[in-house]
Amino acid sequence: MSMDENKKVKLSLKNISQSFVVKNKVMDAVHNVSFDVYDNEFLVILGPGHCGKSVLLRMIAGLAKPVEGEIFLDGEELKGSDPRVGMVFQELALMPWLTVMGNVEFGLKIAGKAEKERRRIAQKYIDLVGLTGFEKSYPHELSGGMKQRVGIARAYTSYPEIMLMDEPFGQLDAQTRYAMQEEVERIWQQEKRTILFVTNNIEEACYLADRIILLSNRPAKIKQIYDIDLPRPRDTVHPDFLRIRKEISENTDLAL
Amino acid sequence: MTEKRVELSKAEQRERNLKWLYRILPFFSILLLIIAWIAVSGEGSDFPSPWAVWTRFLKLLEKPIKKVSLLGHIGASLQRVFIAMLIAWVTGIAFGVLIGWSKKANALLGPMFMAFRSVPPLAWIPLITIWFGTGEGSKILVVFIGCIACIVINTQAGMQNVNRLFLDVGTVFNATSKQRLFMIAIPSALDAIFAGIRTSASAAWMVVLAAEMLGAKSGVGFLITRGMDSRDQALVLLSMICIGIVGAILAIVTQIAERVICPWTRTKR
Repeated sequence: MSMDENKKVKLSLKNISQSFVVKNKVMDAVHNVSFDVYDNEFLVILGPGHCGKSVLLRMIAGLAKPVEGEIFLDGEELKGSDPRVGMVFQELALMPWLTVMGNVEFGLKIAGKAEKERRRIAQKYIDLVGLTGFEKSYPHELSGGMKQRVGIARAYTSYPEIMLMDEPFGQLDAQTRYAMQEEVERIWQQEKRTILFVTNNIEEACYLADRIILLSNRPAKIKQIYDIDLPRPRDTVHPDFLRIRKEISENTDLAL
Repeated sequence: MTEKRVELSKAEQRERNLKWLYRILPFFSILLLIIAWIAVSGEGSDFPSPWAVWTRFLKLLEKPIKKVSLLGHIGASLQRVFIAMLIAWVTGIAFGVLIGWSKKANALLGPMFMAFRSVPPLAWIPLITIWFGTGEGSKILVVFIGCIACIVINTQAGMQNVNRLFLDVGTVFNATSKQRLFMIAIPSALDAIFAGIRTSASAAWMVVLAAEMLGAKSGVGFLITRGMDSRDQALVLLSMICIGIVGAILAIVTQIAERVICPWTRTKR
């Protein structure tokens, strides 16, 4: 399966390495990773727990600088955080002192948008993620799945061209997780963006991805790249789905 | 409407009984206190009975001390407390934010503050009296010293413990450092700041009494000293009860204010 030549490269990682000093020892988190992300594709980065995949996303988001390598967005080098990049956090990171509306419009407020404009955009995404009627609720009044919807809506409001999702459903129970995967796919179909989705769940990766980049154990290296050509919405018990899932599963390192 | 009376299950019955028990016990506790009071103030004891305190209360309403009524004395104390607290809140929160947010400011000013706060506030009274006399300003200054430390400490802790994730969200949205401070760090520290405000209210109320007991012409601290000087035990006890009631009201008011201003902390309690 070769990648279509007509696909436009949106984001490009070149020879990215990252290390940290932990207890006076250098720990390599990511080792010489290069890959391209195409416009509007749903790319899943799959790897065992703590393999450095979140570190990869944090570098793209501008939350950390790589010790080596460069990241290019539309051909220009990314230095620090960029308004074209949005992020959905693993740990939700909703401000407990703000209501759903307050959280969703947070980025717009930082961007200095006028209140009326903020409300309009925020409402659009609150509706899109299915939280209509909960605008005035505080995060602690919401269920886990609803909280993550707020996180997704918040990330979409700044119209990012690339959406980073860092294991967004890791803390949800299995049922909610399936529902949220369908949600994310629906939202992606409705509001086409380039999505980089990090997960350690093989089924989730196969369900969502156009392409899967499989990473090794730490330090993270690219093990293999899979094109998933199954029609959407995908049937998780279809023989083709199960075959791909099994193939990837057998190739995945075990988390320590 | 008799159809609506559904038979209660055993669990519901147990729940209901417990609820009643917990509702009644606090009253029982107060009742016990009053009974104990009556017992110690019985025949042959010169400890004033509840009745004697009540008559002293009525007498005080008729014949004020130093031309100031009981409410006037309470008002005088409260005024000192409020002025001092207001100044302490503004300066204390500002200082706490500064040393909690900036590591450099903390390294520079933190030790100075630590030295200051390790001296109990009442130890300042002699120096302040020598410098500024026993006027209104001195009392306010003592109360200010008495309640600023807990505000600074709580604010500083709140600012140092700002969740990194919230700041990451700010970074992803390209927040300026001013926005990070005012839209993320300070709001997230608000509940800690309020804990400081609550503590400061009770500290201020405690210190104002001490300040007034050492020389004042009004205030509940003055009343209690006057009672001691004239061996008027009923007046002392009456003052103590007033002090207790006002202190409790202060605590309740700050708690309500916190719930109104920080509604998201409501579930924590």
